[in-house]
Amino acid sequence: MVSRPPREDELVERARRGDGAAFASLVRDHEELAFRTAYLIARNAADAEDAAQTGLTKAFYALRRFRRGEPFRPWLLAIVANEARNRRRGAGRREALALRAAHELPSEGAAPSPEGRLLGREQRAELLAALERLPEDDREVLSCRYLLDLAEAETAQVLGLRRGTVKSRTSRALDRLRAELGEETR
Amino acid sequence: MTGIERRLRSLGAELAYPETPALGLDLRRSRSRLLAVALALAAVLAAGVLALSPGARSAFLELFQLRGATVVRVDKLPPAVRIGRLDLIGARVSRAEAERRAGFALLDLGEPDSIHLRGEVVTLVYGTVERPRLLLSESRVTIWDQFVKKAAGSETTVERVRVGGADGLFLSGAGHYVMFREPNGEIAVERAFLAGTTLLWNHGELLLRLEADVGRAEAIQLGESVR
Repeated sequence: MVSRPPREDELVERARRGDGAAFASLVRDHEELAFRTAYLIARNAADAEDAAQTGLTKAFYALRRFRRGEPFRPWLLAIVANEARNRRRGAGRREALALRAAHELPSEGAAPSPEGRLLGREQRAELLAALERLPEDDREVLSCRYLLDLAEAETAQVLGLRRGTVKSRTSRALDRLRAELGEETR
Repeated sequence: MTGIERRLRSLGAELAYPETPALGLDLRRSRSRLLAVALALAAVLAAGVLALSPGARSAFLELFQLRGATVVRVDKLPPAVRIGRLDLIGARVSRAEAERRAGFALLDLGEPDSIHLRGEVVTLVYGTVERPRLLLSESRVTIWDQFVKKAAGSETTVERVRVGGADGLFLSGAGHYVMFREPNGEIAVERAFLAGTTLLWNHGELLLRLEADVGRAEAIQLGESVR
């Protein structure tokens, strides 16, 4: 008989009782997202690593405050994001976001022509540059919603905002981004 | 979803993120960590310095506890935030104000050059804020349920000591930093005040922290001189 993997709430319960291995299982699937969240906020790889690691440590100690039945991922990411914000205030070096090299990108069906690839890449670089010019609040909400692909409710929890605020801020940020790109706002 | 939303989502998949590092509680590394604990345990016990906590959870090499303080030793300490010393120790206040707001009578090693208050932690500065000879911080053990000091594995030594009959911890070497639980419940990560040595100990209902560039014996002697 194949035993089923423990559910998230079971791992949470075990971790609450001090089981470090259960906690490790619980966070393993979220480590990359936690690190990327921290990176997009702190904008420095060393700070992001520190924020993610410290965030995990704090989450382990704070599990007593985790409300049973709530989703674990946004709770964890909120702790990491808070750590990342603390480090960003430390005025460390801010790294610019960059696109992966073309050969590192996953192929998407039929390969476009070299010109098509180049044009697409230029447009993406332009979009990234426009995103970088936005105010921090706008950039954060767009990063969570689209770059990290978090749901609206998750974004709200991670950024410590009301859901309605995420909605309005996202809409405003998208308008600003369109303006930066010289596109018509809605 | 609008066109720009789709383009942003697509952009997310094309960003060159730094490689995700192996983070603190990764079970894939737990075996080597446990081995490191065992090796550290053997080495340290052989030196007769302290008793480790081999049952520590997989993320941590060692865990030391005082009333009001926890020292966590990890195998790798990433860079910490550096903020100004004045931000660390808070605004300068009079002794009377510090005692009124902290809610206890200050202990000292003689009259300090200045007294600072941050939250409910009082810090006595001997020397200048920029170049202190010694810092003595005091707080009630009941302020926070955990006052965490995290220390690097190979660079920082943590020793259990006795200070005037009370439990204490002596941290020496490079690269340790402090995580305070702020009054609002958040934990702030910071550098230690001095790169030198730190003595943490319980004194009645207080948690005291002495930071100065001195050796263990001298730090304990100073700690026992606090009145």
